[in-house]
Amino acid sequence: MDEKTRTAAGIAAGLQGLKYDDGRLAELAAEVDVLNDAVRKAAAERLTFDDDPAAFASLLEREARK
Amino acid sequence: MRNDDLALVDLSEIAEAIAARRVTSVEVTEACLARIETWQPRTNAFLRLNREKALAQAKTLDSELAAGKRRGPLHGVPMAHKDMYYRKGELSTGGSAIRRDWRAPVTATVLQKLDAAGVVELGFLNMAEFAAGPTGHNVHHGHCRNPWDSKRVTGGSSSGSGASVAARVVYGALGSDTGGSIRLPASACGVVGMKATYGRVSRAGALARSWSLDHVGPLTRTVRDNARLLGVIAGHDPDDSTASERPVPDYERLLEGGVSGLRLGLALPNDGSAPLDAEVGGAVQTAADALGKLGARVTPATLPDFTALYRAAEVIVKCEAAAMHRPWLEKMPDAYANQVRTRMEAGFFIPATQYIDALRLRGHFLREFLTTALEGVDAVLLPAIPFPIPTIEETDVEAKGGPATLGMVGRFTALTRPFNTLGVPALSVPCGFDANGLPIGMQLVGRPFDEALLYRIGHAYQGVTEFHRRVPT
Repeated sequence: MDEKTRTAAGIAAGLQGLKYDDGRLAELAAEVDVLNDAVRKAAAERLTFDDDPAAFASLLEREARK
Repeated sequence: MRNDDLALVDLSEIAEAIAARRVTSVEVTEACLARIETWQPRTNAFLRLNREKALAQAKTLDSELAAGKRRGPLHGVPMAHKDMYYRKGELSTGGSAIRRDWRAPVTATVLQKLDAAGVVELGFLNMAEFAAGPTGHNVHHGHCRNPWDSKRVTGGSSSGSGASVAARVVYGALGSDTGGSIRLPASACGVVGMKATYGRVSRAGALARSWSLDHVGPLTRTVRDNARLLGVIAGHDPDDSTASERPVPDYERLLEGGVSGLRLGLALPNDGSAPLDAEVGGAVQTAADALGKLGARVTPATLPDFTALYRAAEVIVKCEAAAMHRPWLEKMPDAYANQVRTRMEAGFFIPATQYIDALRLRGHFLREFLTTALEGVDAVLLPAIPFPIPTIEETDVEAKGGPATLGMVGRFTALTRPFNTLGVPALSVPCGFDANGLPIGMQLVGRPFDEALLYRIGHAYQGVTEFHRRVPT
């Protein structure tokens, strides 16, 4: 079991109270790795302290055709 | 007019015929019921057909009209909806086994609006289990089948909505769209589907797939019908905090402006992750040429790289779905189809900070889209599904699995999911047929709350083309 799969096993058993076999944990670790990596990189390139998730709805209103 | 002829008339036209008392709602409802009898064995589009209730409703609506009362622009028109719109006290399965016998505690806002407009409710339609799946497969209620070829998929998750509108057994249907679930079945079945701006239509009383990305919207035979239907269901709703307070335009009145002088960006994305089939690309190019002949200025558009945006959308859907499904996933994991359960499970392992960042990124992604693809143009034109419609068998993840099948299913949403994350309106319009005789659809994507403009473009296009007039036999 590699480090990321061990981490997934720890989250499943220790934090979420969920049971998965080792094979499924490896699949989930790989899937989450890709997603986390993409979001982490996009966030590092774009986000600032003041970015508020709720601002999205306001932006839609503001960007409508005048 | 014969029964079958009545069912073939468009929604707007039949609504006007009922209003003028040239035909009754009962006659029209009977025409739909007769056609459902023929088509249901071929498409499996209906999960529940409320024959007697629909006829009673139609009779009441005819009586009201005879007494001089017309409820609204859909008075007496039969429709049916994806089985995820709650009606108080009635079954609402969400396409699942888990909710097979569950009765809704409230009525969805959109159903209340359709009731007020005078719709006859024929029943509820097949869908992907819990709105999770882009093909129309459903292991619990049977796969929905494409009326153009019953061996091929309908697209999903609003599979029954696409199939029933295409087969002319209903005049229109509600679907929902979290990653393409209105536009994919609209494209695959050859009908019109609108995913309006996030917040344009209330989600209250609709089963959620992902609160942040879910959009409620209509599927119809024509753009005009779609405009009428969106005009009825759109608008503010105190029961949905994300519903916009912006006034709802008269979409139908704004249809006739034409496209002369409009600037359209044509995007035919063809990268390694979602290669564009030449036949599909050719159909969309031909549609762009037709709009050019009508006076639109068509220029190439470059879409931003959607990779990060697509991954952010996956993070949002998986985390929200895992949270809402957790009690059932713990108690009865085997009650889900494997592919539905496994698509949610990663949500338990994604850190909350990543989920929040995915939400925070949406505004940045929207600004990037507006300043690249939409810079200097009024709307972008692109395919809905990048390949010809596959068979049910070759996309059956549950039965076949394997990377090739999973890859094809994953590519279904390559060109639709980005616009859920961006929240901008996207209209799917039929623009051709492939070599197998299955429809091809194009998307028109615009600025936030620019639904009227997209309808205007789509309506102009349908004025010079006949793809939306073809009926499966």
